Amino acid sequence: MIIANTFFTRTVRTSPAIIIALLVVPVLGGLLGVVLPAFGWFPALGATEFGLFGFEALFATPGIERMLLLSYSTSLISTLLAFLITTLILASYFNSPWLKRIQRLLGPILVIPHAAAAIAIGFLIAPSGFISRLFSPWLTGWDTPPDWLFPHDPFGLSIILGLALKELPFLLLIALGVLAQPEIGSVLKQQHKVASSLGYCPMTGFFKVILPSLYGYMRLPILAVLAYSSASVEIPLILGPNTPPTLAVAIMQWFSDVDLSLRIKASSGAIVQILVTLSLLLTWWGIELLIKKCSAAWLTNGEREHGGMLIKRFTNVVTFIMISTIFLALLGMVFWSFAGFWSYPNILPDQFMTMHWQSALTQMQTPLFNTLVIAFSSTVLAIILTLLALESEQQSNKTISAVSGLIIYLPLLIPSIAFLFGLVWMFEQVNSQHTYLNVVFAHLLFVLPYVFLSLANSYRRLDPRFSSVAASLGAPPSKIFWKLKLPLLISPILIASALGLAISFSQYLPTLLAGAGRINTITTEAVTLANGASRRTSAVYALMQMLLPALFFILAWLTPKIFSRARV
Amino acid sequence: MQVVNKICQHSFAGFYKALCYLVLILLPQHTVFASESQSNAAAMWENIEMRGTKQSVYFHAWGGDQQINNYIQWVAQQVKQQYDIDLHHVKLTDTSEAVSRVLAEKSASNHRNGQVDLVWINGANFASMAKHKLLALDWANKLPNFALTNPDNNPAMTRDFGVPTEGMEAPWGQAALTFYYDSLKVDQPPQTLTELLSWTQQHPGRFTYPKPPEFLGMSFLKYALIILNEDQPDNIKEKLYQPATAESQAEILPVLWQFLDQLHPNLWRQGHHFVSNGLALRRLSGDGELHVSFTFSAAEIPSAIARYDLPDSTRSYRMLDGSLSNIHFVAIPYNSPHLDSAKLVANFLLSPKAQAKKQQTSVWGDSSVLDLSQLSEAQHAYFDTTEKQHLSASIINIDNTRLLSELHPSWSTIITAQWLARYGVQ
Repeated sequence: MIIANTFFTRTVRTSPAIIIALLVVPVLGGLLGVVLPAFGWFPALGATEFGLFGFEALFATPGIERMLLLSYSTSLISTLLAFLITTLILASYFNSPWLKRIQRLLGPILVIPHAAAAIAIGFLIAPSGFISRLFSPWLTGWDTPPDWLFPHDPFGLSIILGLALKELPFLLLIALGVLAQPEIGSVLKQQHKVASSLGYCPMTGFFKVILPSLYGYMRLPILAVLAYSSASVEIPLILGPNTPPTLAVAIMQWFSDVDLSLRIKASSGAIVQILVTLSLLLTWWGIELLIKKCSAAWLTNGEREHGGMLIKRFTNVVTFIMISTIFLALLGMVFWSFAGFWSYPNILPDQFMTMHWQSALTQMQTPLFNTLVIAFSSTVLAIILTLLALESEQQSNKTISAVSGLIIYLPLLIPSIAFLFGLVWMFEQVNSQHTYLNVVFAHLLFVLPYVFLSLANSYRRLDPRFSSVAASLGAPPSKIFWKLKLPLLISPILIASALGLAISFSQYLPTLLAGAGRINTITTEAVTLANGASRRTSAVYALMQMLLPALFFILAWLTPKIFSRARV
Repeated sequence: MQVVNKICQHSFAGFYKALCYLVLILLPQHTVFASESQSNAAAMWENIEMRGTKQSVYFHAWGGDQQINNYIQWVAQQVKQQYDIDLHHVKLTDTSEAVSRVLAEKSASNHRNGQVDLVWINGANFASMAKHKLLALDWANKLPNFALTNPDNNPAMTRDFGVPTEGMEAPWGQAALTFYYDSLKVDQPPQTLTELLSWTQQHPGRFTYPKPPEFLGMSFLKYALIILNEDQPDNIKEKLYQPATAESQAEILPVLWQFLDQLHPNLWRQGHHFVSNGLALRRLSGDGELHVSFTFSAAEIPSAIARYDLPDSTRSYRMLDGSLSNIHFVAIPYNSPHLDSAKLVANFLLSPKAQAKKQQTSVWGDSSVLDLSQLSEAQHAYFDTTEKQHLSASIINIDNTRLLSELHPSWSTIITAQWLARYGVQ
């Protein structure tokens, strides 16, 4: 296809390069800002000689091996668990209406920020939490809260629970997204039917026919989940142990410690964190190979039935427990936000009142305003860049290269704790004083990949014949883009925008660091309050954190419907 | 002379400089020097007032308590009226965030345009900033309201955890370690450190302290350290207020570790998990998981009860064997672009009006640092308010216990490191 050389096409052509630069420069620059101090170069402290003393200090930390083990095990187990339950749910409900229902129930969890989810789960499993109240004193005999293990248990079980509950809806929706694509989904469904007609029980059919193909599409998102959970801060901070904490939490604490020389140790820790994440990815790859090898014979052995009913019953129980856990956690949080004093072991608060909402809402105005401004700026930028890059793909008639595709995932794969501190250092180097811009930019790093992933499929799937017809009628590329593609794609664009907003709403570390603490958002306030005194106020903030993205998803979902109705 | 120079160099430098010299030459020497310090100080302050108005001040202060945040909002309104200053409260979860920021700015050679104009600080954070030369020097002692603290007779106003402040920070308030308990669940709260140990043995899992280096947890350890070394000879006790050495550690610390070894098995979660801060202690008390707990800001207790975060039956008291007490300050980083405005705010924070407001239990309840004997009658009137108080606002034992001074900050680092080595991995 010959493309006219207009301002529009030139902008479109440069956009992939801009995206790549926007993602690569800050991440690599940020890494540099961590690598230098990690090897002992930190002029502000008078350290100008390269050496390994940062690493020596790191490995001399009491409990360092426990920290590493905790980071490694919690993220691996939670991801395995989430993946396992995802496949079980898919396998058990593959052709049942329940799949849609479960998707509807779990979908909203996806937009709940990690901090809010952790707060809610903390309310649930604490000794004075909802579960313990449900069974006390009639079953347990407790009239004061027991001194038990959860949360903050030394094995990180609370972290695993929190991470798995948060990862599962993501993986499930990714899988359903893949299955919703006509060229993949319908083929797989056909194959499943063939397997059924050959006498395979639906469960076995799923594992032998669908999963091997489906997994390939899920691999990258799974690795992103694994990488993210190995270095996430919010959930281990709110639910995890602190004797010792996970490596990522410890790094964050060292970075902000009074003793400034700990910065060098923290930077070394960030490097080790990257290695932990890498080794996790390698472990996953190893597990993949192992399963592939072991299951090769099983896949083709012709066996039709493997206790499908048993697995299905098990899945029913797991799904029920999971959904009621989520429901109870949310319910507990709503109760706390309206509670007067709530003495143990009463199931309901002693009084209900709106005082906490009132006082929180009056204090919330600035953070709310900041949250919205930053989210809208970064999302609009991300949408524009993504649309341009996808348009350039179509104009040059080839999808972006594998390397570029990986680069888009870069901010999701590299532990953010490793490069964000360096990023702040970079902002300092270019003397960027505009904290708002810095924060928008930092958010863009995380919003862009999600928006791109969310839009790419719809954009690439758009029937090229529309454009061909329009072009043959003499429409220039810019007109095709504005008048044809955008209106056709309005629904996915709105959904991608809502996703972008939700991602931006949930950012804690980037806001805190790039904003120099000057910019408060609902999320930074919620995390500050989560470690604070009032369960009631933090419940209000956590609920606010959930309501905001939910509101925009509903808007994104409703707007096209209203418009299309208006057009008719 | 230097002072005169300093005043003159800013506005219309040349002309005024000449004029100043002229005045100095013309006036008889002794009258000049007799009134110089006063009139100069006043003139200097006028200059600061002139230059400091109509600017923004970024006040980095811990933002975890709504009462304190509201008080800072009130201060912002006041300085807006008085000086047209826009005071922005940057809410920190930990003061060290501000310290890191100024350090990062220094390392990036940003010596003039820092993000932090004023920071709420004391103890180890101050020691660290002072050591790395991150603070503006010699200004706090020149604030007009500083004299009202009567610094000559009150050495605590110019020493921060034993380190001389040298005008780098202005006092803001003071606090003492206060314990609280639920009177429905506890008849006889422990009133000394020894009683606390035996009480935890009888009631395992109902007491804990935040993990060091957190401020409140550290304060509990320091309180214990002082009490446990009570019987030592004076020359050893003194070492608590001097930089820690290997020798003094060996003399002072072992009793603390012995005590903690006995205490920990009966703490909340058997001492396997420690909460991250004092607010978490309060939450656990509200949940009923802890029965005896402690805080540095006693005023938070009645206000927490009013917000239903603590049961109505909560009462507060001080330990009979002593209560650790310290002063907290505000400091200005060396690279603040709004130095004069920050000084105006710091001076306002020290004013009788602001200090009296802060002391009201319904506002914040933080004790004033002013010496009431230094105030005029009109200023005194600010403090004469009668409030209706919750029972928990009257602190039991407040008059029959003594205040214990803060240790030298080097002890905090050492206690933290050894604590983490002993109890940090479980």
